[in-house]
Amino acid sequence: MRLTRRDRLFLFAPLALLLAGWLVLPALLGLLATFTTYSPFAIGVHFSGLANYAAVIRDPLFGSAARNVAVFTLVAVPLELVIGFSVAYLLRRPFHGRAALRVLLLLPWLVSPIASGVMWHFLFGSATGVVDFVLGWLGRPDLPSPLGDPRLALPAVIAVEVWRVAPFVTFLLLPSLASIPSERWEEATLSGASWTGRVRHVAIPAVRPLLLTITMLLTGLSLGTFDAVLILTGGGPGPATVTPALYSYNRAFGVNDWPVGATSGWLIAAAVLGAGLIYLRLSRTRFVE
Amino acid sequence: MRLRGVLVAATLLAFLLPLLWTALASLGVLPDNSSRPPSWRGSASLDHFAEVGIAEPAFWNELVTSVLTSACAAAIAVGAGFFAAYGLARAPFRSSRFVTQGFLVLASLPAMAYVIPLSDLMRRVHLLDSFAAVVLSEAAATAPLAVFVLHGAVAQLAPEWEEAAVLDGAGLFRVIGRVILPLVAPSVVATALVLFVLDWNMLLVPLVLTSGEIKTIPLGLSDFFTFERELDWPTAAAALIVSLAPVAALVGLFHRVLGRFSLDLATPA
Repeated sequence: MRLTRRDRLFLFAPLALLLAGWLVLPALLGLLATFTTYSPFAIGVHFSGLANYAAVIRDPLFGSAARNVAVFTLVAVPLELVIGFSVAYLLRRPFHGRAALRVLLLLPWLVSPIASGVMWHFLFGSATGVVDFVLGWLGRPDLPSPLGDPRLALPAVIAVEVWRVAPFVTFLLLPSLASIPSERWEEATLSGASWTGRVRHVAIPAVRPLLLTITMLLTGLSLGTFDAVLILTGGGPGPATVTPALYSYNRAFGVNDWPVGATSGWLIAAAVLGAGLIYLRLSRTRFVE
Repeated sequence: MRLRGVLVAATLLAFLLPLLWTALASLGVLPDNSSRPPSWRGSASLDHFAEVGIAEPAFWNELVTSVLTSACAAAIAVGAGFFAAYGLARAPFRSSRFVTQGFLVLASLPAMAYVIPLSDLMRRVHLLDSFAAVVLSEAAATAPLAVFVLHGAVAQLAPEWEEAAVLDGAGLFRVIGRVILPLVAPSVVATALVLFVLDWNMLLVPLVLTSGEIKTIPLGLSDFFTFERELDWPTAAAALIVSLAPVAALVGLFHRVLGRFSLDLATPA
């Protein structure tokens, strides 16, 4: 229907109000504050240029955090996509019990990052854990929890997050994969395509825009990793699993260095918005085709 | 397709074994990893579920708070998101799709990017430690995703659906209530459910906006763990199972509708 000005006001005002007050305004005020000495309980505020940014970038702990989150994103996102896609591909055709299986396979995503942290802390532990139970059956000696090992902590945190998020990717991909007409699979099979050929020429083209969208969401999620490490390792051992979000939180609320915390928080926003520009660019070229 | 059966079983085992382990621990059935081969000890009982209330006396209150905040936040986000999605889908300008994708970028923005100034702003307007601040902040964090998904659902509908109603003299709200909403109801319900889960599991927003007055389940679970390290695993496991049960029940009940939560950008009809 043709919308009048008044209609449009009614339609957009609630969202505009919500986003302006509780997201955009705080974000912009925060951005302004990063160029000053502002802090909630400071007496005088004055312009400080890029001093906060220099302080963040010079901090070696932030350097470790940036490196960790880069590794986290570059490893976790592709793994989540590949595992999520593979499981969805496996379930693409209807069979008895598929509906129940879909619900069961979504369960890990329903566990909050905090709950998953508490859970895996005990599952990696030697007295109570699943890892040492399995190793015991295989006749291998117990392993100390990887969460305490500086080299294994980050991979362990990544593995836990992949366990939690890959099922969500499956959930998002399955309806589209399942709705590919069966003739398309048969055609591909008749023309002698192997299963890799079917994945590349039938499955992927059908979900390509969807994969791009999911990649954007997962990238934002990993760049902001906070609660997934908070309980599991708390950023340790040493700086092995600290992330920019954890760093920002500790700066702003832990040691009361508000300007540095707000600044490193804005650096996360900048990274996600940068990824967002690439996403918009890529999805635009798709329309032009 | 025997290979597929094996693969499905292996997948199921990999994803569900950790949860099965937790469920067993909550019942008091624990592995004995010191014996060779490892064995099981303990007999099943529901005692640990009662201990949750002793270890964290506020736990049951937190459960109620979580239900209320998540339900209100999801309702507000889906409501505001739906109206805007409809407006975008029927907007005359061609770049409405581009705007919608901008909302997806906003949906990907981690809360940490802006919660530090947000908590300061809420303190200045005396909304810190209030139910309203937690609900509205959670709603604002998740509303962009609702806009993206619901735009896809509305854009799929042919404009002819509304034409007849408009010719009969129906105004905007009649068209939305009588024509559009019934058609996209499954997508709206699915979106509300997914947002409810996101709000249910959200830690950062309630963490920085309250000093313990409005305590949700993730907050409860986190200080369960940080302040009471000696806490035993079966009680923590019982708390985990209790906090997972409501969302798992919702997803089980509405699993048919959930398939309508689609991130596909619809090709306009």
